[in-house]
Amino acid sequence: MRTNNLCADIGYMSINHAGESLCGDHVEMIETEDKPSTVIVLADGLGSGVKASILSTLTSKIISTMIAAGLRLEDCVETIAATLPVCSVRGVAYSTFTIIRIVNNRRAEIIQYDNPKVILLRGGENYEYPVTQLDIGGKHITRADIALQEGDIFIAMSDGVEHAGVGIRYNFGWKRSDIIEFMKTFIPVGFTAKTLTKILLDECDRLYDGQPGDDATVCTVKIRPRVQVNMMFGPPADRSDTNKMLSLFFSKEGKHIVCGGTTSTIAAEFLKKPLVPDLEYLDPEIPPTATVEGIDLVTEGVITVSRVLEYAKNYTGSNSDYEKWSCGQDGASKIARMLFEDATDIDFFVGRAVNPAHQNPNLPINFNIKMRLVEELSEQLKAMGKKVKVGYF
Amino acid sequence: MMKITVCIGSSCHLKGSRAVVEGLQALIARNNLKDKIELAGTFCLGRCQTGVNVLVDDERFSVSPETVEEFFENTVLPRLG
Repeated sequence: MRTNNLCADIGYMSINHAGESLCGDHVEMIETEDKPSTVIVLADGLGSGVKASILSTLTSKIISTMIAAGLRLEDCVETIAATLPVCSVRGVAYSTFTIIRIVNNRRAEIIQYDNPKVILLRGGENYEYPVTQLDIGGKHITRADIALQEGDIFIAMSDGVEHAGVGIRYNFGWKRSDIIEFMKTFIPVGFTAKTLTKILLDECDRLYDGQPGDDATVCTVKIRPRVQVNMMFGPPADRSDTNKMLSLFFSKEGKHIVCGGTTSTIAAEFLKKPLVPDLEYLDPEIPPTATVEGIDLVTEGVITVSRVLEYAKNYTGSNSDYEKWSCGQDGASKIARMLFEDATDIDFFVGRAVNPAHQNPNLPINFNIKMRLVEELSEQLKAMGKKVKVGYF
Repeated sequence: MMKITVCIGSSCHLKGSRAVVEGLQALIARNNLKDKIELAGTFCLGRCQTGVNVLVDDERFSVSPETVEEFFENTVLPRLG
């Protein structure tokens, strides 16, 4: 089958029932390479705490593994029913689930048992897709098959999201239509799936007055085109490799970021364009950026990239810093947006030249730190689901 | 027109080029010299040991956030004639 230029940006997070250290919801994701597909399962275990966590973890693990292996849905549901331990208090084994299976970046199959219906925002508007009803082992299950379009945003959630604010701000929680209206306002901004997830959960937490009455989980899937971003960091170890490194770099499709003073100087010389540093300190700790015609972004090196790494670590964790980098105009925020939001494929061109002036033990910018930075940053970007290549010169 | 160029490379940044830039901006404004002095930035000048490096036209000086006012009075103002 022909492959297209689309890919899925996936982000999920949870907030826990107040007072619980374990979450009773669980998200599991499996990608298969041979027949490119991604299976995401969001399970919500009965109750909260340890029992709920075990139920939802088992459910999502079993379903994602079986579906990814190509087994029938009926078999998956039967296996779940036969496997889940029965709660001694309630006498039932119970975990609701939502399965999103994306095949070839062309179709999405959505199978749900009792979770709130997955929201689909298409072209920034709510799109009510048709579902078929199935009965498997006495369980009422819905199923939908959707042809994907660029810009489609799927929002899957546990019922703790819809119940946010019950008895505090709303009598019956906020309705699905309220959640849709709330999320629609953020779509034109171009936030990533992870950030959209964080925005929705922050709002839930606010509606719960910071004391969630249930576990709440959101999983957002954004269908977007692949975008290549190339980033050069450091001049080559052997000066005679300069032209080779630069011509390889600039022949790459996509956006180009150049980091480092000496690096941007040689890049500007290669392009025969002036290098014009800016003098505005938009973030007091980050050196100003510069402009070179033909390069999308020119920044200082180690200090700026260290900050990008900090943002990356925060993003793959709690994502509490997105407000800083998602609108900042300093070099680090701009790199963060290009790498975290715009890019799906990232090529690093890392030069191993040692800057003698930086090898002062009093300066936190020496050669080893620089190499560590690149390694850690590429690990973080891989954790975000990006395809990363690192080339050394 | 005099051109003052401040190094904003990694090493000079850590030694306080931001404070030097802001100090010079304030001094230029206070002395009404915006028509006579152009302030610019540059990446690494390869003299990190002596940072913060500042060029007045083509001559290089070492300035720190503490000495920026002294530098302005003793070096910049006399050169304007």
